[in-house]
Amino acid sequence: MKVNPQTFFTFCANHAPLLRALAEPGGEISEAEAMRLIRANPYAEELPETAWKRLCDLQILVLNEAHSDLFFMAEPLSRLLTYLFNEGNPATPEIIGGYVLSLETTGKQLARALDDEDVQKVKLAFDEISQTLRRIYADLNETQNAILVEVGRYKTERARVSVREKYRLIVHWMERYVEPMVEIVRADRPMRAVFDETERLLHRAREEALFNDYPVLVRNIRFLRLVGDHALRVFTQCRKEIQPLYESLRRSSFIAEGAARALEKLQTEGRLRWVNEHMIGVAVWRYQNVPGDAAIVHALRRVFEHPPEPPPVLEFAAEKDDPVALRRLLWLESLPELVRPDLPVDDLMRWLVARYSERSTSDVLAGFSGLVFHSEFRAAFTNQTPRAYTTIDGEITGSPLALASK
Amino acid sequence: MNTLPHLMTIFDRLKRGYHLGPDDQPEFSALASPRFEEYFNYFAAIGFTLVRHERQFFYFEPENPETIPDTLPRIAVLSYIMIDHASNQGRSIEEFVFGQNFLITALPHFAFDRYKALLRQVDVYDTNDLRAVLHRMEQIGWVKIKGLGDDEFRFLRPFHRVFSKCLELSAADSKRVDEPQAVPVESGEHQTKE
Repeated sequence: MKVNPQTFFTFCANHAPLLRALAEPGGEISEAEAMRLIRANPYAEELPETAWKRLCDLQILVLNEAHSDLFFMAEPLSRLLTYLFNEGNPATPEIIGGYVLSLETTGKQLARALDDEDVQKVKLAFDEISQTLRRIYADLNETQNAILVEVGRYKTERARVSVREKYRLIVHWMERYVEPMVEIVRADRPMRAVFDETERLLHRAREEALFNDYPVLVRNIRFLRLVGDHALRVFTQCRKEIQPLYESLRRSSFIAEGAARALEKLQTEGRLRWVNEHMIGVAVWRYQNVPGDAAIVHALRRVFEHPPEPPPVLEFAAEKDDPVALRRLLWLESLPELVRPDLPVDDLMRWLVARYSERSTSDVLAGFSGLVFHSEFRAAFTNQTPRAYTTIDGEITGSPLALASK
Repeated sequence: MNTLPHLMTIFDRLKRGYHLGPDDQPEFSALASPRFEEYFNYFAAIGFTLVRHERQFFYFEPENPETIPDTLPRIAVLSYIMIDHASNQGRSIEEFVFGQNFLITALPHFAFDRYKALLRQVDVYDTNDLRAVLHRMEQIGWVKIKGLGDDEFRFLRPFHRVFSKCLELSAADSKRVDEPQAVPVESGEHQTKE
């Protein structure tokens, strides 16, 4: 069914927001969803049902397939809206690769036509080349546009989309469109070679006078060069646009991943195993065996508060006699030899007091103990009545003790 | 050697775990000067490794202490949660963390049960505990609290140490699962030459 152009464009002019909303999903749409969009984008007093009927009558929305209740926007209109709203669908590397292949095939046909001197086929090949170049040019522009719009959207919208999700999407754009496309359009890649060959054939057609429409020839050659340069520029620009975003998101994504992994490990493994690997170390000045302020104050207080006393005087002159302690020690050590001739002794204490009356009680008792426990003598207490032994500084009372050799 | 500027204050701060960033003048400028190597050698001689992070801040390389202070795991968990939350905000994480001031009471740490459970593991139970952790982070130069509004704070450049740790963990994990993807690890390796 043919649509009246004037009616079609009048409807489109009056329903631009609705058409854009309908084009937005980019796929199938149900009647209910379409009605919702019609109500959300009303035009004057028009009833939603009327708008819906006209959308179908004007073949703006067409049934997806027979017996289906899903619709999609007619492709020509969809492309027109893309053009009008400065949006675009990116061409995949396969699409551009297909064009290059098509150009290569047309080039072969042109070469054969030139060999056969078939003017008609040369003209057809010229038209086909011209058409393919226009498609490449249009698709390149649309792809660039789509990429730039997407990048802009990342920067301004989608605020709640997680960094890792964004990163995955931008990686998809990089890996699906930009990088493979740069590979295709690079100067040392197939597209350039096909373009060069096509240009050579176009010149040959002119030289062999098989194609005399000079303006068309010039236009094709100019377009050929333009598309080649444009393709490279478009994707180099796209890469430049995406690269900083890609780098930034890549870094953020890995940071986010690291943090998420750390938290996940804490959740699954518990703190004890987690700490060493995931903690961020900080220098800590460790004090060992260092007195605290209180200890220093206490020590100083003890120094300040110590009662004054004269310093000790050291006797540097040589002593005339042996020191008292040394003489005492020598006496104690000589006792076993001194008592040995008198053994057995029936009362050791009396023997000591009698022989060494000048010795103090302490010395007498020390001598007495040394002899009692000496390894070469045997001491035995007697059952006699206790006696009193008088020393120079006191008195000792005890039962007599007998000492004999072993 | 004896004429190195601000040597005493630099040492005094670094030995306590402080990270000297651009806000810490004049010490930061002294270390960022071409005399960095002299400082590095001076501290090396007394057993300290002065680190110049590639994001331009300075700290002493930590030892592996036998006993780990309780605050360090708390700082780590608080920071990881902050990053986890930032990654859901749709902006670059660094832009999110460094590009604004935060209110302690508005932090996401107690807004989600998952975060609360993680914080419990390091004995952080409420906003006051969180405040104490942030206070410690201020002592090591990772955040600034003083001089801002009530309960307000902002992250300082040395917080990049957490990002470095995250990249390190991510790289280790990639290596473990044998992914060919190269993770952009950054390290705080000391640079002795400009």
